[in-house]
Amino acid sequence: MDKVVSLKWFLGIFTALFVLFLYGPFIVMGILSFQQGPEGGPQFPIIEWSTYWYQHVMGYAPPSRVAPLPIGEALIRSLTLAFATMVVSTVMGVLTAQAFRRRFRGSGLVFYSVILGMIVPGVLLGLGMALLANQFGIDRNWWSTAFVLHVVYTYPFAFLVMLAIFNRFDASVEEASLSLGVSPARTFRKVTFPIIFPGVLSAMLFAFTLSYDEFPRTLFTGGSDVTMPLAIYGTFAVEIHPNLFAFGVLTTLFSFSLLVIYAILLSVSTRRQRARASGLQEDIS
Amino acid sequence: MRSNKGTWLLLAPGMIWILLFLVAPLIMMVYVSFWTQTTFSIKPDLTTQSWVNFFSSDTYFGALLRTIKIWLTVLIVTLLIGYPVALYIGQFIKNKTLQTALLVTCVIPFWTSFLIRVLAWRPMLGKEGAINIILQKIGIIDAPIEVLLFTELSVIIGMVQIYVVFMVGPIAFMIGRIDESLIESARDLGASASTIFRRIILPLSLPGVIVGSIFVTVMVLGEFATASALSGRKVNLLGNIIITQVGSLKWAFAAVAGVVLTIVMAAFVAVMLRIVNLRNQI
Repeated sequence: MDKVVSLKWFLGIFTALFVLFLYGPFIVMGILSFQQGPEGGPQFPIIEWSTYWYQHVMGYAPPSRVAPLPIGEALIRSLTLAFATMVVSTVMGVLTAQAFRRRFRGSGLVFYSVILGMIVPGVLLGLGMALLANQFGIDRNWWSTAFVLHVVYTYPFAFLVMLAIFNRFDASVEEASLSLGVSPARTFRKVTFPIIFPGVLSAMLFAFTLSYDEFPRTLFTGGSDVTMPLAIYGTFAVEIHPNLFAFGVLTTLFSFSLLVIYAILLSVSTRRQRARASGLQEDIS
Repeated sequence: MRSNKGTWLLLAPGMIWILLFLVAPLIMMVYVSFWTQTTFSIKPDLTTQSWVNFFSSDTYFGALLRTIKIWLTVLIVTLLIGYPVALYIGQFIKNKTLQTALLVTCVIPFWTSFLIRVLAWRPMLGKEGAINIILQKIGIIDAPIEVLLFTELSVIIGMVQIYVVFMVGPIAFMIGRIDESLIESARDLGASASTIFRRIILPLSLPGVIVGSIFVTVMVLGEFATASALSGRKVNLLGNIIITQVGSLKWAFAAVAGVVLTIVMAAFVAVMLRIVNLRNQI
């Protein structure tokens, strides 16, 4: 038994080091984002603590030798693209998963071809799409060729989430509703949807964040108007400055607020469901 | 029969989307790899010239070998680091809330832009980077280690940190699903800890290892950003080759590199899927 206890300690320490490994770069990045500007570079030591680079990202800093990040329009494009991708891939994911509740011939083929979308590397798909667009003389734009590839990528995630939800779904409530003469559309809206809502929310979160951060697929298909990740990728070629770190900290905060919104929506929906269930029980008694 | 029609109606949007925007681009890539490449344009005259060039050039064939080497290294390292962590989370943490909290801790970094995460390694690994400063302060080394940044090593470190979670997640999930009574009864029957691991935990966690390996493989093989950010453009993977070829309008050549990459990946995934049936694991 002693051996198991010491193994547990060893693995515990190993896991702690692992978490440190995961977070180390962020901590360093966070510290360096408060580097003095505009002379301070992206390395230690910190010359003087300042919020210069945050002002720089926001566009409040006086002009200097460091060019401002080309955000702004790129950010709006990325958010629009992520939103559209989220809506389309979630709807398609729900539809496909709904079809999978019944056994049908060729389900294996359909399953794997959907999954292929998340497995094929973005750079290959981007290349193929660019070639296809060239062949047919279609202009490459972030809202056309890049958008369809984003959906190809996020749709399998939405599908898998919904599939997992439907697998744990009690179909008898739906049957009860249908046998009481409620129309299928109304049954979906009033019975099915409220139950699968947490899953839909997760699927939306997945789709939005994946699309928002996606760039190998966008690189060849996005055309001349860049999205946010492409704007960052463009800065790779030149010297990096701490403004990128400040920007990284800000985007992380933004993502966390998305996560918080998701958590709040989820807890509201479960609470409402619980309230409804207890209300039903009172009605019965 | 009506229900069958309903099923296909539900499937239609997704299937049409996949055919047009996933299958068609991939077929196009294979097709274009046989086109004739001239200096600034491609012509749809079929030839195997680009293929011959690819395999006879040291630069490109070397990039293929380097890609495979880095991929296998990253795969093995993520497995060696990821498995113990997954074992700890799945087997030694009994409190469900704590278990979830630990997994969420691992996933949180994914809410930062991928490119920013890659870039964050630069001030870590550089000659005046955090690791060198700390090691020098403690007195382990006298002079800064220079091989940490702008080498193959830095690319591997960066990739391992970014992709290791995809290994931890599936394995921890499978280990967490193992029925506790199974291990209890093995213990009651006098099995040692190592026997329990070898005969119960390892085989039952295998699907997790497979799924994790597939994730890591497809992501590492399609990589180019980590290599260009952390190697100072010194380490060229096949992904980087595709980027530069497209940049100089050598579409046919980029397509060849793309097809080669796809074949390597498909072969690996096919072997993995023979070992485990993915669909039964959801």
